[in-house]
Amino acid sequence: MSIMHRPSEETLAAFAAGQLDEGLAVVVACHIEADPESRRRLRELEAVQGALLDKVEPVAMAAGPRDAGGVARTAPASGMAGPSPEAGMRQVLRPYGLGPWRPIGVRIAMRRVEVPGAGARVFMLRAGPGIALPHHKHTGFEWTTILAGAYEHEYGRYAAGDFDEADSEHDHTPRVDPVEGCTCIVAMTGHVQLQGWLGRLLQPLVRF
Amino acid sequence: MVPALALTVDGKREAGARAQGGRFIVLFDPNRLIAAIARSGDRAAFAALFDHFAPRVKGLLMRGGAPAELAEEVAQETLLAVWRKAALFDPAKASASTWIATIARNLRIDIARRETRSRLSQVYEILDDEAPEQPDATLSGAERDARVRAAMTQLSPDQYRVVELAFLEGFSHQDVADRLAIPLGTVKSRLRLALSHLRGRLEDLR
Repeated sequence: MSIMHRPSEETLAAFAAGQLDEGLAVVVACHIEADPESRRRLRELEAVQGALLDKVEPVAMAAGPRDAGGVARTAPASGMAGPSPEAGMRQVLRPYGLGPWRPIGVRIAMRRVEVPGAGARVFMLRAGPGIALPHHKHTGFEWTTILAGAYEHEYGRYAAGDFDEADSEHDHTPRVDPVEGCTCIVAMTGHVQLQGWLGRLLQPLVRF
Repeated sequence: MVPALALTVDGKREAGARAQGGRFIVLFDPNRLIAAIARSGDRAAFAALFDHFAPRVKGLLMRGGAPAELAEEVAQETLLAVWRKAALFDPAKASASTWIATIARNLRIDIARRETRSRLSQVYEILDDEAPEQPDATLSGAERDARVRAAMTQLSPDQYRVVELAFLEGFSHQDVADRLAIPLGTVKSRLRLALSHLRGRLEDLR
């Protein structure tokens, strides 16, 4: 897997600082899990926070340490979690509920990703080979991580692991890979106007 | 002059500070204190870590605009997590300060988003478990931290301030604009520039 498209430095820094909306953060995490280079950058941005912790003016605690004696200590890590149950599934999605796949057209299906408290709406989209995804415009962010397969639009080809960070200035029509199809996870904020037959089908389900 | 106190592995205070260049330096080695907790549940080591880090975590949260009460709670919970997770600390992955800062970040999210049942801290933990990239080329946590600190000293005071504000007080451009009394567009470009400058220095120092 060769990652070509990554989050901007600002997006990664906001993620590292724990300041992204949880819906947007989940989609960024799906990319980071697949990309060692972004993991390396994330660790550096976390080290920035370690440096800030060392430099910050301490503020005296009102109370001393709680009695840690009764608090059990964790044994060393047991290692990585088991294999993903489904192709393209990410470990970082384990904490979240996933709705059922629902067909929303010919060879296209979506499922909700339940992210409590998120401002962004999060869903997975699975499209068969060669399909043109709905042409649309929107007012907020639309961030996408490709989980399997690929799509292509004006800004290039996006394959498994790639991150597509679009804002309202973008207006694109992704075309799904003619052989592999495409499964992706999307977080959207703001309002969207979907166009075309697929757009009309998607509109009520995405519930804007 | 009273010699500075140094901490030994088991956290006992002793007047063993070494003189260096005519100045006393305090031997505070968080890695060894964390290791002492992992090995034997050393409560003196815990007290020493608490004294050092809890007021800093509290200070960091308050700089970020958290009320004192919340900052105190996050600091308490962070240090308890350090006690609980001491055996999971791996100095090859991150320095103690960075490890503790990420624990504090996760707990701040857990506590601030408690009513919405946020799971974001689990996401960070899952990412943290991922195998490190290119094992042979990976720097140790201490080396990475040293590099990041060196890169930060190469930022202009303006850039440093923007980065610090963004990390501590949020990436909401409007908030930073209000805070620094500069136009929104300027904040966006300054932050982008400061972060790319930091990234450039980090890549140079690899």
